[in-house]
Amino acid sequence: MSQLGTTATADQPAEEERLRAELYGLLSRLLSGPPKAGDLKHLAGLTGDSSDLGQGIAALARVAAITSPKAAEREYNALFIGLGRGELLPYGSYYLTGFLNEKPLALLRDHMTKLGIKRDKSVKEPEDHIATVCEMMAGLITGAYGHSLSVADQEAFFNTHLAVWAGHFFADLEGAEGSLFYAPVGKIGRAFIEIEIEAFRMEN
Amino acid sequence: MKKSEAGQSRRDFLKLAGTAAPAAAVLSVAGADDAEAAEMSGEGLRKTEHVKQYLESARF
Repeated sequence: MSQLGTTATADQPAEEERLRAELYGLLSRLLSGPPKAGDLKHLAGLTGDSSDLGQGIAALARVAAITSPKAAEREYNALFIGLGRGELLPYGSYYLTGFLNEKPLALLRDHMTKLGIKRDKSVKEPEDHIATVCEMMAGLITGAYGHSLSVADQEAFFNTHLAVWAGHFFADLEGAEGSLFYAPVGKIGRAFIEIEIEAFRMEN
Repeated sequence: MKKSEAGQSRRDFLKLAGTAAPAAAVLSVAGADDAEAAEMSGEGLRKTEHVKQYLESARF
């Protein structure tokens, strides 16, 4: 059954679901590491409407146009790497308990096992890093781990591993002292998480 | 609210919200130097490559 062109088949998510996956992918990409020259050029061409999310995208495009890869790398390192730690600790365990490698991480690992998501052993950071959880959400929407999750199952994953802390993280990112390129990334993240919360609520 | 109606409300809402996020938001595949982004894998596949290929094909 098709509605206004957003046909969903058994494997292929509908258009609006693909947009969600794209946004999670964008956030994951930018939070995994600093944008490279090609990324910055691509981002500079984006436009957004007057919504919060749109304004975040427009702001990201504006700052991307005047950010060099070197500057982006310095900013990313100051925000997330530092000497031992950066200005921010983008981990669910930290936001939920005040410590790293806590129960939220254990719970996430448990769910990953149940969902058939394997961690990449070459990555040192624990899996409850915002970039990793966003990447997982994208994969759960698109069926990267075997099959697309139902909206109800996506909601369960989202509520447990993102809704509880990601909004706060993105707000911190937007307001961080070291944020220039990453401030609109925070705004986009915050606006998107709110959209996700609202959209999942409508499913019930 | 019937399940199908609730689902339609969610889809309509996402369509409205999604107009703010251009399809061009997908970053192009940078290539082999993308070590940081390749964090997860599933079923033996490099999941990031799989998702990237999917995102590439989803562009419109």
